[in-house]
Amino acid sequence: MTTDDHGSGAGERRLTPADVQNVRFSRAPMLHPGYNDAEVDRFLVRMAGELARLHAEEAQLRDQVLALQDQVVALQEQVAGATAVEPPSEQAVRILATAQQTADSYVAEAEDFSRQMTADARAQYEEQVRRARENAGATIQAAQEAAARMVAGGGQPAPAGDGGERGTTQDLEEQVAYLKAFAQACRVQLRSYLEALLTDVETEWGRADPATLQQLPLRTPAQRPAVTAAPGTPNVAREVPLDDSTSEQPAVGGNAEVPARRRN
Amino acid sequence: MDIPAMRASFAKATATGDEAPLYFYSHLFLSHPETRKMFPVSMAHQRDRFFHALGEVVAHVDDLDRVVPMLQALGRDHRKFGIVPAHYPAAGASLLATLRHFDDEWNPALEKDWSDAYGLVAKVMMEAAEAASDQPPWWDAEVVSHERRTIDTAIMWLRPEPGFSYQAGQSISLESDVRPKLWRYYSPANAPRPDGLLEIHVRAYDGGPVSTALVRRVGPGDVLRLGPPMGHIAFDQESDRDLLLVAGGTGLAPLKAVVDQVARYGPARRVDLYVGSRTEERIYDRAALEELGQEHPWLTVTFAVSHDDLSTLEQGDIGEVVARHGPWNSRDVYVAGPPAMVEDTTTRLLKDGLRPERLRSEVFAPSRLGPSLDGEVTQ
Repeated sequence: MTTDDHGSGAGERRLTPADVQNVRFSRAPMLHPGYNDAEVDRFLVRMAGELARLHAEEAQLRDQVLALQDQVVALQEQVAGATAVEPPSEQAVRILATAQQTADSYVAEAEDFSRQMTADARAQYEEQVRRARENAGATIQAAQEAAARMVAGGGQPAPAGDGGERGTTQDLEEQVAYLKAFAQACRVQLRSYLEALLTDVETEWGRADPATLQQLPLRTPAQRPAVTAAPGTPNVAREVPLDDSTSEQPAVGGNAEVPARRRN
Repeated sequence: MDIPAMRASFAKATATGDEAPLYFYSHLFLSHPETRKMFPVSMAHQRDRFFHALGEVVAHVDDLDRVVPMLQALGRDHRKFGIVPAHYPAAGASLLATLRHFDDEWNPALEKDWSDAYGLVAKVMMEAAEAASDQPPWWDAEVVSHERRTIDTAIMWLRPEPGFSYQAGQSISLESDVRPKLWRYYSPANAPRPDGLLEIHVRAYDGGPVSTALVRRVGPGDVLRLGPPMGHIAFDQESDRDLLLVAGGTGLAPLKAVVDQVARYGPARRVDLYVGSRTEERIYDRAALEELGQEHPWLTVTFAVSHDDLSTLEQGDIGEVVARHGPWNSRDVYVAGPPAMVEDTTTRLLKDGLRPERLRSEVFAPSRLGPSLDGEVTQ
């Protein structure tokens, strides 16, 4: 038997339908009768047809596998990108939204309940504390009065002088109160005056010549406490108008802080 | 990008009130169930917050100088919630679905614009988060001491993991396992210390889930989580002008930190601290403050009560008391406390002639989920 390509490694090259059609069988010797030629030919035709069909089918399957592989890759990408998830249905969204609202309202209700309870408890607590303090105050006062009575009753030194003494004490107390108030008023006025001066100093010096101010050295931390202790002492005595006072700057303790303030 | 059209479609969604954010989160949780665990049980506040932030972006989308820093801060801050890059497209898909659902004139052009815009927002946030990845997303902090000072106020000392740094006057978000996923902002009451400890003042707000738990349930040994510090009261460390500090409630905390800052790092300045309270018992840190006042000659501490006629302290609203002792026009002024107190005090001071640029204030209100752009902190 011969085929077109015999000897060229039949194991690697596949048998094609053409191979089957072109095959030629050598004649059998006269003494040995062979196959019926017509039968062999008919079978070969059938075999060629079958092979052709198989090859076509195989090619088709290969295409299909490739297409499916592409699809798998695409799906994997989509899954990784989390974009191709089936969108939830409107109904599902509605149901979940309602469930969420129910949960929210339970939480809100619980919070509200807790708020009311706490507020009530707090109000009661504060009321009790207030009452306790009032009672304590009243008790102490009563005790003091009792003590005063006992002292007065025990001593009985001079019932006559009592009124005069009380008068003097009252006078003294009034004077002390007046002096206290006066001192407080003085302090407040003095402070307003100093604060106003500080404000002026800042505004005016900045306006006078910002460029020279920039060159002044910054306060070192060591200098600061002195400044803080007497922020405007030299200013108090000085009556010079501030507008033209750039030349006097070095004389004043607080001057060097101006550049720092200009920063903002 | 057709910005007016995008604003119009966003307006349609926000016009529905709570509906749109409710739809958004339901959609997100259904398509990505794993994201649910990043949120607290009650989503009511969260919904406001998300659409509020989104609204800011939409409103200022043509002003990138303003939007980008805000997004970067958000991106960095979101790491503490456990958000990773994969979550951004998920939220984007749900956002688009939400806008589509509430816009009867939705079209492919709008879809593309929104998709591009969201992509940009996500990119800025993710890049900022990525840039911050040399820092942990949060720091564990152990409660080393916990002291109830009044019926509703506690002072805790926390020891954060090494590497946590902040500045006096900044605030820090914290979360406890007792109330998972609820982050609240608090201001430390001390300047950074060599041992890294933080002093935190907490007032239990009636019905407040987190503050109540922090005052009544948390104790030594418990571990809290701290988010990265956020700066806003903006204490001016450069200035050496004398200081006036006015505190109401736990607004005292950042102001005590300012006193501590001056004591530790200077420069030396005269400091007047006014602490206002309703009643004398409610002044929760009196002993410590009086001690500070004795220790430092430059510090004067004044207490005042507004609803306590039996007290021998100064009487009146703290703003009134401060004004009585004025003028304060040469000072740097910091005011922190409840809204009404801050409002009253700042109004009085400005009326008396204080220059606005020298006044900094911070409102301490209950149940803040995070500081807004101007900064709000939890009591």
